[in-house]
Amino acid sequence: MKFRAATLGALAVAAWLLPYGLGSYSIHVVNIALIYALLAIGMGLAMGVSGQINLAQVAFFGVGAYTLAILTTDRGYGFWAAAVVAVLATVATGLFVGVPALRMQSHYLGIVTLGLALGFINWITNASVTGGADGISGIPLPTLPGIDLSSEYLYYYLELVVCALGLGFGLFVVRTSLGRRLRAMRDDSLAAGAMGAEIPLLRMTAFLLASLYGGLAGVLYAGLIRYVAPETFSIGNMFILLAMVIIGGRRSLVGCVVGAIGLTLVREWLSDFSTYAQLGYGVVVVLMVVFAPTGLAGIPSRAKEFVNRRRHGHGRRAEADDRARLRPFQPYEAVERPSSTAEPLLDIRSVTKDFRGLRALDDVSLTVAPGEIRGIVGPNGSGKTTLFNVISGFYRATSGQVRFAGRTTTTARPYTLSLLGVARTFQNLRLFGQLTVRENILVALDRTRTHTIWQYALWQPGVVRRERRLRRRAQELLERFGLADFAESAPGSLPYGIQRRIEIARAMAARPRLLLLDEPAAGLNGEEVGQLAGIVRSIRDSGTTVVLIEHNMGLVMSLCERVTVLSGGGVIAEGTPAEVVAAPEVIEAYLGDSALADVPRPQPVPAPAPAPAPAPEPPGGSPPPASPPSASKEASR
Amino acid sequence: MTRSSTPRPRTVPRATARVTTRAAVCTAAALAAALTACSAPGESDDDTKASSGPIKVAVVNAQSGQLSSLGDWEYKGAKLAVDEWNEKGGVDGRKIQLKLFDDQGDPTTGTNIARRLVSDKYVAMIGTAESAVTIAMGPVLQQAKIPNITSGQSDGLVALKSPYLFLNGPTSTTYDSTLAQYLVKDKGHKKIAMITNNGSFGKGEHDAFLKAVKDLGVTPTTDQVVTTDQKEFSAALTKIRSTKPEVIFIGSEEVEAGLIVKQARDLGITAPFAGAAPQGTPVFIDTAGKAAVEGTIVSSPYLSNDVSAASKKFAAAYQDAYGKEAELHGAKAYDGANILLTALKTSNGASGEELADAIRDTRYKGLLGDFRYDESGVGITKTTIGVIRDGELVPQQ
Amino acid sequence: MQETLQTLVGGLSLGAVYALVAMGFSLVYRTMGLVNFAHADIAMIGAYAASTFYLTHRLPFAVAMVVAIAVTAAIGLVIERVLRPLENKDFDLMLIGTIGFGIVLQAVAILIWGTTGRAVRSPLPAAPLDLFGVRVRTYDLLVMAVAALAVLGLAWFLARTKRGAAMQAVAMDHEAATAVGIDVGRSNALAFSIGAGLAALAGGLVGPMLYVDASLGGALGIKGFAAAMLGGFGSIPGAVVGGLAIGVLDSYAAGHFQGYSVLVTFLVFTAAIMIRPMGVFGERTVSRA
Repeated sequence: MKFRAATLGALAVAAWLLPYGLGSYSIHVVNIALIYALLAIGMGLAMGVSGQINLAQVAFFGVGAYTLAILTTDRGYGFWAAAVVAVLATVATGLFVGVPALRMQSHYLGIVTLGLALGFINWITNASVTGGADGISGIPLPTLPGIDLSSEYLYYYLELVVCALGLGFGLFVVRTSLGRRLRAMRDDSLAAGAMGAEIPLLRMTAFLLASLYGGLAGVLYAGLIRYVAPETFSIGNMFILLAMVIIGGRRSLVGCVVGAIGLTLVREWLSDFSTYAQLGYGVVVVLMVVFAPTGLAGIPSRAKEFVNRRRHGHGRRAEADDRARLRPFQPYEAVERPSSTAEPLLDIRSVTKDFRGLRALDDVSLTVAPGEIRGIVGPNGSGKTTLFNVISGFYRATSGQVRFAGRTTTTARPYTLSLLGVARTFQNLRLFGQLTVRENILVALDRTRTHTIWQYALWQPGVVRRERRLRRRAQELLERFGLADFAESAPGSLPYGIQRRIEIARAMAARPRLLLLDEPAAGLNGEEVGQLAGIVRSIRDSGTTVVLIEHNMGLVMSLCERVTVLSGGGVIAEGTPAEVVAAPEVIEAYLGDSALADVPRPQPVPAPAPAPAPAPEPPGGSPPPASPPSASKEASR
Repeated sequence: MTRSSTPRPRTVPRATARVTTRAAVCTAAALAAALTACSAPGESDDDTKASSGPIKVAVVNAQSGQLSSLGDWEYKGAKLAVDEWNEKGGVDGRKIQLKLFDDQGDPTTGTNIARRLVSDKYVAMIGTAESAVTIAMGPVLQQAKIPNITSGQSDGLVALKSPYLFLNGPTSTTYDSTLAQYLVKDKGHKKIAMITNNGSFGKGEHDAFLKAVKDLGVTPTTDQVVTTDQKEFSAALTKIRSTKPEVIFIGSEEVEAGLIVKQARDLGITAPFAGAAPQGTPVFIDTAGKAAVEGTIVSSPYLSNDVSAASKKFAAAYQDAYGKEAELHGAKAYDGANILLTALKTSNGASGEELADAIRDTRYKGLLGDFRYDESGVGITKTTIGVIRDGELVPQQ
Repeated sequence: MQETLQTLVGGLSLGAVYALVAMGFSLVYRTMGLVNFAHADIAMIGAYAASTFYLTHRLPFAVAMVVAIAVTAAIGLVIERVLRPLENKDFDLMLIGTIGFGIVLQAVAILIWGTTGRAVRSPLPAAPLDLFGVRVRTYDLLVMAVAALAVLGLAWFLARTKRGAAMQAVAMDHEAATAVGIDVGRSNALAFSIGAGLAALAGGLVGPMLYVDASLGGALGIKGFAAAMLGGFGSIPGAVVGGLAIGVLDSYAAGHFQGYSVLVTFLVFTAAIMIRPMGVFGERTVSRA
């Protein structure tokens, strides 16, 4: 910490003294580089942190600069008043451009935002208020008492302060509640939704942040150059900005800044060979994407990893694991069980779910009493996971009704259900791969709503205080689940059994009333299955109702009080484990699939690669959470 | 030459914004560092004039991007003039050192270059062909007192009112009022259609021509505006066709104008087109096809390489140096460079204000005509009318 | 009326080119799961190659086209090899990586052919046809015919040949395809070269209609991409419908909104894609998470 403070201090002093060593041309180039750095931070927040491909950043830049230019030259505003309006106008534009993100993602979003950016360029080239292709000249100089900003040297300090504050704010966002949720959304928007993250609002927030930085950069640009013209905001410059972010490292804001400043300086240095420079940065982008997708910012950690691997060798991994190990689960305090006559917690009435003529669920009715452990079994493709998806809001039932805790939740969104007290795990683990184990837990613990982001703008201490509280609770939870040793690890690097436990811990973070476990024992060894049974019982004893899908019949028999059997999308039996096993329909359904015994299941692959889509995924609609093989089988039955 | 110096403020910037703790610490540290330093940063003033050694002149033009061909022509023209002067021994025995900067058609890059010209003590600048870039560079060059002879023709350049900015050709107004005079007065056309693009050049042409014909009492039959990167003009051209014009004014760069004329002929429009400088270039003729451009009326200060002895000599030298045929843009830059060098000679290698005054006082008989600068920085206000016959632009008899 | 029809004809002829570009996009996306933003720049290289063989080497236009398609397909093989690590991976990275590749191709084109660009004379000098006052260029008819043939040929190839079937299998499940003995790498390389060949076809055909320079890819790319989205990404008939739709939309927007046509085109496009994100022929798959 001391070292970091010292580095920061040294950097600040160096930045402060920099102009003393530069000529007037160099300082101008540095000023331009800082403006690009601000733009790149915004781009990094949208693209790297939130996973929203935003190719309209240069248009946000333009909106900021043009609004300022129009207000100061045409409407007689002072520079700073105009600057405030300009930033607000840019944010409004950002929210407008972000609307398509609610319906589509990835390359679809990229093209739509690029198209809107082209539309903006077209508008400023035509409209008379923007001066058409000739642009607007004569923008007044920003004034600060006692400081003559016509000197580019002093303008540098203005930019430096804005950039430092911008970077500081960006880092603050990334490392606290909001940024963590944005990153969780980037890694897995479905799981984030199941953890209570309001995905639509978060996507808009990503665009809000990007446009905020775009607007600030635009204001600084207009104040520096004091002339705006459409060419500055061209698509070519958009791609250069993209290259800056990719080369620097889109997931690290510091990387974005380094990329922006670095590429601006290199391009200037190579300005006499601009075609070769273009060739060069194009090649670097391709190489970066192929070999170093995390950019320059990711190189130190990759290098460290490489050295570690060299030093320890592969065989000694186990030794390292010895020191960090999974500790025993510490049971929750038991509460009194509610009487069984109470109203059912979950009530599913005649639910049917069709996929393009395939009936995955057929008139399923089911009630689960509070405090129960319910097992759901059935052959592959019988509709178990589809049922979970309907309950947790990922699918909307074609007909029928779902009621949770006395409310109708048939059409509720996953995050609403999460807030109501439904938590779930996934058959094929959906941990946030780029977040640490601790952050995975923190995302789920965080129950604040997205609208509280006003605190980021106006009351940062509130954010900090909340953050401290969350971290304390996360530590408790990690210790309870015996995961404290792995708190700072990337989930993907941990053994499968530990990942399963992290998922349960994450689902329990919000202290749900109903916990849905989708094949929690899949891939676990005998000892781990035993531990799992203990954990599930303790969870139930703490007052959370549990519904689990499981193929491991030994576990189901020992754990569940009642079992529902699904086959071909319908309920064929329900009762105590002993009753169900004896039912002739059940025996028939299982014949040919497998006997009512432990089925050796293949070790699931933790993170299946996204399948190439012969027909595209609905770009906006959420692809439902199920592993490709079993899901497609379920659908094709 | 005088240098731009940084006015020294008496106080140090105060950080007034509310900041996070860490940022506050940094700011405080940095502020302390600034206080310990004795003065605000800036380049020291030195008024020492470089009166020996080569005279540094910059050519700033797009060498990449969409306008790069224009940039290339102009560089060739300017370089030819400078090479000729250097062969004759330069100015007062000092060689002219010409350096090319690539503005990429981007105003921001332009301002970078402007600062560099100041830093590297360039005496004068030739270029650019893109009005927006020149306008962005203007204030910096004006402050540093570096004369700039631009190839732009936008009236926005004149509106800048910089005493250091000179045009090496006529403005759009000159091109188009000459053309309007010819079409309306000489030819008696009453039905004139217009098609222009919304770029800097096209918009300038649009406004200048519209004003010129209206002054002569003619209202265009239709006024179609297209974008600079449009490829398909059926809608606009069909509208033009339905108004049955006698002549169609076109305000667009070479390639797009070529496409428009080609598509117009395919749609059965037989009326001749009329336009300014771009319509006289080989690129326009090649893009549209020889047959399509037959009869196109062009208002230009430089109709062809054969109009005078001087132009023949220039064309031959150009052919010798580059193996290519000379055209208007090269001729303009050649004239501009010659005017600058003449002024340098008459002022004995002066710079700054003195050089700008010398340029204003220069009377130069060039390829485009007789230059005589006024306060607005325009040196020539005359174009001639030519017609394309058999793929060649020839003076109208 | 005449104006409306004439605008339609103009839109359709440029739309046929967008359709060809979109078809290449879609084929590569469908078979390899690669979103290739550099596709239009490959088309630009194809246009330069075709015009070089046609104008400089004086080959007949058809022969020049075939040679250009072959050359571009070969370049496609090289590009595929470079981009292979991206296939079936993160779409975002792919988009950015191929944008980078497009920048490289533009720089290469400038280094080889210079910045000026060139006009290509039409290989069909016949006068335009006059149908009740609506003029149709013979060359445009040729372009539409070639585009239609390309669609039919591609559909036949995918449905009726062994290699085409293998490509479809790879598209559906590349692991399963490997399991049944299909060489996925080879199949993908073939798909990419066909894609590049289609790009060259589009580029070569557009040469005489427009003007060939390094920025040609930018002009074709974004609208070609938009066309593929509008029709349904990955669908061959969708590419045709989307291409023609974008061409006509563009043409009418230019007629009605003059200088604001780009803004209008992309606003309409955004609205359309918001209403139906999967496009006209795109399918909502059951589950692919």
